[in-house]
Amino acid sequence: MLFPQAPSHRAFRVWVRHLVYYRSFYLAEWAGNLGEHILWLVAFGYGLGRFVPNLDGISYAQFIGPGLMVSVAMWNATYESTYGAYSRMRIQNIYESMLMAPLTVGDIVLGDLLWCASRALIGSTLMLVVLSLFGLVGSWWAVAILPILFIEAVMFAALGLIATSLAHSFSFFNFYFSAIVMPMFFFAGTLFPIKGLPIWVERLSEALPLTHAVRISRGLFIYGHVENFIWHFSFLLGFTFLFLTVACVLVSRRMVE
Amino acid sequence: MPGFVIDARGIEKSFGTLKAVDGVSLQVKPGECFGILGPNGAGKTTTIKMLHGAVESDSGTLRVLGRDVATQSRLIRAQMGIVSQEDTLDRDLTVYENLWVYAGFFSIPKKASLTRIEYLLDFMQLREKWDSQIKTLSGGMKRRLHIARALIHEPKFLILDEPTTGLDPQARHLVWQRLRELKAQGLTILLTTHYMEEAAQMCDRIGIMDGGKFLVEGPPQTLVQEKVGDEVYELKGGASIEFLDSLQGLSVTTEIVADILYLYSRNGMGIMEHLISFGRKDFLRRPATLEDLFLKLTGRELRD
Repeated sequence: MLFPQAPSHRAFRVWVRHLVYYRSFYLAEWAGNLGEHILWLVAFGYGLGRFVPNLDGISYAQFIGPGLMVSVAMWNATYESTYGAYSRMRIQNIYESMLMAPLTVGDIVLGDLLWCASRALIGSTLMLVVLSLFGLVGSWWAVAILPILFIEAVMFAALGLIATSLAHSFSFFNFYFSAIVMPMFFFAGTLFPIKGLPIWVERLSEALPLTHAVRISRGLFIYGHVENFIWHFSFLLGFTFLFLTVACVLVSRRMVE
Repeated sequence: MPGFVIDARGIEKSFGTLKAVDGVSLQVKPGECFGILGPNGAGKTTTIKMLHGAVESDSGTLRVLGRDVATQSRLIRAQMGIVSQEDTLDRDLTVYENLWVYAGFFSIPKKASLTRIEYLLDFMQLREKWDSQIKTLSGGMKRRLHIARALIHEPKFLILDEPTTGLDPQARHLVWQRLRELKAQGLTILLTTHYMEEAAQMCDRIGIMDGGKFLVEGPPQTLVQEKVGDEVYELKGGASIEFLDSLQGLSVTTEIVADILYLYSRNGMGIMEHLISFGRKDFLRRPATLEDLFLKLTGRELRD
């Protein structure tokens, strides 16, 4: 076998393990998610939005709606793939027990990423529900954002897992969050447009994977179509495969001595 | 299955400058129970981890269940049960969920896995605990659940790394009893332990390991007979030079540890009479054991 640790369909079994655990607390999580989403929308969309002029005829609340969906996916996937995965890998020895069964590191990594993305997707779906209750959704195409967000979440989960495989304690994640996740959140056009900022900020923003998820989502959410969809989608997909591969290699190194 | 369950030839593993496993060769036949004994840090756990691919060997060849571990460890693990030394139970799940989820890792069909879980919960006396959280289980129950989990797919070969360490005598006896039953059913077993007498009873062959290699290997009774003798006399209090000299004519070897004189005898003839004629009545006479052999080979210094 050329890649003895390559992922396979057995990743689904790893995903099932996480689902079995999730069954014990999902209602509390959903309630918390809904409350938090409403708080964000009210505080920023309407609180702050009162002082923001309409952007191209769009209210501020409607502008940040898709941005919030995209960031919820990123944050959820990131938490689950850092704090959650670190605990599974280093503290609870769950990865180790899976490697005593006929699973490969690739199965475990892929199963974990699919799980992180599933949980993130639930969070984003709840955000979409909140946004539609507030009457902010401009097009039925908004539902098509969800599969895009699933891919985005796999990508951020893979990036989080890369951080997890390099971490030697939970405190490493403080660094990861301040250096990677926070700047990504602010400079991807989630809460304010990047156009018109200094040119180097615009360029940096173009290089951030989150920016492309925001572009696709905002287009679908408000207008029902996306300019340069192929480019943004390829960018997301490319980084997803890159991070996934790196995560497999690094976790293998961590798990097999 | 033809051939060996384990066929290791000259396997080695270093961590930095530490040579954890230094040229281990080992062949275990189907249905056999092999015990690895050794002080802490001897290389037992590393050897075991190499068998299921959690540690990759630097050199040598290693085949398990007829397959090469370096390239086919996933397929090997599909037919092999592993009970690791540290707790790897899933603390987020209940007893039942632990077994059910693990059965999924082996792609066992749902109906078959339910039957198997029922059987294993009974076999390991965990029936009443099926819905409990892992943190509420005692050490003995956790270990039994570990063993049940390792048996979920009816493996051909079971590996146990110190399955009874830290258990109270009741729990320990239950574990050993279950392992004997599994052995009687024809399961091939490899285990490590610090309980010499239990290993001597259970294992067809044992290997004593230190410094990353086997010092001796063979059936426990034969090894004890060959390397130690039949009987041991323990004498408390000092021994005079004359008394030690007087032992020259007898077929004994001696060892002094703190205030105890050990006499290891090969045929026992005349030793008792000799001791009595010297007025020594404060001795303990007992059969030579695996522990005598173990201490003889690995020394008496503490290992940590």
